[in-house]
Amino acid sequence: MKLAELAGKLELKAVNSLFDRELTGVYISDMVSDVIANAQAGNLLVTLQVHTNVIAAANLVDIAAIVVTQGKKPPEDVIKMADKAKITLFTTELNRWQIATKLYESGVR
Amino acid sequence: MAEQTGLRYQMVDVTPGHVVMEHDLMSRAMRSYFSAEQVAPVEEYREGDHIWHFAGTAQAIQFDVRDNRSGEIIPFRELLGLTYYGCAKPETALRRLGDVAHENGISVYVAVAYENPDGSVRALASEKIRVLNALFNDRLRTPGKKILILPDVFDLYRTMSYGEIMIDFGLTSMEAD
Repeated sequence: MKLAELAGKLELKAVNSLFDRELTGVYISDMVSDVIANAQAGNLLVTLQVHTNVIAAANLVDIAAIVVTQGKKPPEDVIKMADKAKITLFTTELNRWQIATKLYESGVR
Repeated sequence: MAEQTGLRYQMVDVTPGHVVMEHDLMSRAMRSYFSAEQVAPVEEYREGDHIWHFAGTAQAIQFDVRDNRSGEIIPFRELLGLTYYGCAKPETALRRLGDVAHENGISVYVAVAYENPDGSVRALASEKIRVLNALFNDRLRTPGKKILILPDVFDLYRTMSYGEIMIDFGLTSMEAD
């Protein structure tokens, strides 16, 4: 599934540019070391973290986009860094369990 | 890490643990090491002329890399973490170099190593830097995207804060908003 299609289905709001690409799956984690070790290229990363190191780790493993949960707002430097790395940043009021359920129902595995 | 067939290098023996930072009040020396214990050790201890005090901790992983062609396991025990150029302070050599590289489609990272007990750095061998570059670049899917992992020619291990290295701080105290 393409990122733009998923964003439309889940009503996800991008806080930076939308860099549309094919998703290869989902990875849910709040640890950058875990993301580096286990996430796959093209994954959608679901996290509560908004530190610059999350973008650094996501870029290293070629994450397609990040969904920040529970209404957390990424700081401006994080948004700029995501733009430079061509990683779409979404925010949602949902928690990680709720967004995981919606992703599954949308057909993302 | 999930099995990825067809890739030459693969992260194996991924061990979760802690980067433990410690300091000696008398000499003002600081150093860090990896602990695989479930709870990071915080006790002070004497070593020669130094008395090392706990200064902080962050969650991290330690890993080895398997060469799927030869079967060789390449240990990376001296690797503290990777630092992304975008997390470096503006006007530093790393940031300026990284900005130029970025304009050419290359994301620059620096492999920061642990210190030896005497404070000297445990430099990563050139061959290991080559393996790290292959490990991460082989996993990329975005056309034209390139990762460049450099050895710590910037002496970052001396000058930068641990917050600039990709290790996990403050997770246990993280608030929901």
